[in-house]
Amino acid sequence: MKKNFVAAILLFFALFAGQAMACESQCASTTVEKSVAATHTEDHDKSMWQLLTSFYKTTGIYAFTNPKDGVVNGEGEEVSRFHQSWGRIIMIGITLILFYLAIAKGFEPLLLIPIGFGGLLANIPLANMTGDHGFLGVIYNAGIANEFFPLLIFMGVGAMTDFGPMLANPKTALLGGAAQFGIFGTLVGAAALSQFTPLFDFTLQDCAAISIIGGADGPTSIFIASKLAPDLLGAIAVAAYSYMALVPVIQPPIMKALTSKAERMIVMKQQRKVHRLEKLFLPLIVLGLSILLLPESTPLIGAFAFGNFAKESGVVDRLSDTMQNALINIVTILLGLGVGSKLAAEKFLVGDTLGILILGLVAFAVGTAAGVLMAKLMNRFSSEPINPLIGAAGVSAVPMAARVVNRVGMDEKPGNILLMHAMGPNVAGVIGSAVAAGVLISIFN
Amino acid sequence: MENMVAESFKYMILGMGIVFVFLYVMVLVLQLQARLIAKYFPEKPADSGKETAGIDKKKVAAAIAAIQHHKNLRK
Repeated sequence: MKKNFVAAILLFFALFAGQAMACESQCASTTVEKSVAATHTEDHDKSMWQLLTSFYKTTGIYAFTNPKDGVVNGEGEEVSRFHQSWGRIIMIGITLILFYLAIAKGFEPLLLIPIGFGGLLANIPLANMTGDHGFLGVIYNAGIANEFFPLLIFMGVGAMTDFGPMLANPKTALLGGAAQFGIFGTLVGAAALSQFTPLFDFTLQDCAAISIIGGADGPTSIFIASKLAPDLLGAIAVAAYSYMALVPVIQPPIMKALTSKAERMIVMKQQRKVHRLEKLFLPLIVLGLSILLLPESTPLIGAFAFGNFAKESGVVDRLSDTMQNALINIVTILLGLGVGSKLAAEKFLVGDTLGILILGLVAFAVGTAAGVLMAKLMNRFSSEPINPLIGAAGVSAVPMAARVVNRVGMDEKPGNILLMHAMGPNVAGVIGSAVAAGVLISIFN
Repeated sequence: MENMVAESFKYMILGMGIVFVFLYVMVLVLQLQARLIAKYFPEKPADSGKETAGIDKKKVAAAIAAIQHHKNLRK
């Protein structure tokens, strides 16, 4: 009896509610219809065939096969016919290659997968995802155009970096400086090629943004490129991360060519133990120096020092843990997608990209060579033996470059573990490339 | 741009100079810091480790003696 009563009441309310809702939707639909009717009166008398053809014109198949003049991309720039059809198809092919390299070959998958997927999305016709109101455009404007995401990444890198090996033998930090010759040497080379040959036509700003690839530091490259040459950002970021992934392929031949077997077999003294206070003060010292010498570099070095200070303070493990895990992961996703938006065909498939890829490789090789040569020089004059191989780790690319040094050393003399000795120049290289970036910013601002 | 190469060459000198000055000053400060910290905050954990080891040995000896004594009483 009771049950029936409740059911009846429920039914009553349900009917009531249903009626109210029906009325609401009806009212809404009539107003919508009115406005639609006002604007698209001609739509009503289309035949089925016309509807189908007009739908066909909104498909990807039509957009790929029928490039038109006067089509603009999300940023209001005109896209040529080639870039609308074959260009996009080629770029989608390139993003698939990036996926292959990341998944099958293990090349920097954390970055190449988001960048590649961003590139795939950026090349979809009609969707305009790279525009100001598109998915990728919003991400790009929120954090890359204003150089925000690279700084967050730098903070996380700071929280992950252990300066112990560098503090144990501070002199090796100079090797991290020598490797920055890759940046400035390439700057001169790129300027010469642009001025004296018809191959490239880069401005000095473009040259600076390209040569920063030699610093082998992804976030720094993106930071500088978005400041000095935003149009080249996609190619620069892809080149920087691909070459970082290729460190084990690019560096060993250069290292072997510049050193003798005896030099590669040098065993280095075991490192001293580093006091906790030394590690705690290090970020403050580095930041203090950059405040005094080069305030332009403080956004990068400040973020880095903050991350490292949070780690070494030992009392905010929660924060440092967030910086080196959750936060850096989130920002990596956004940074990758944002950079990927610059892989749109009309931006990437231009003559400049080839120049960037070549100059980036040169910058990387020159940096490695300069580091090794400097280490040879230091070995001549130093009281303690220095294995010249560790100079190659002066390009940042932490910790890949140090691992490569270790492997080359072990190949020559099994049991000669250079990893910790190479970590010193390696982390100094991060500071060195941030300083180099600061110099470039101060020159061009 | 009249002469990009000359311009970029100047940037190279300036850039490498500043990178090296920065890192060299950093090395000097770090060496000074290491010396100061070693002087005023000498590391103690090695000593304290020995002490605890000594105490442990005494305690172990005492425990063994006590057990032996207990066994002797039972006999």
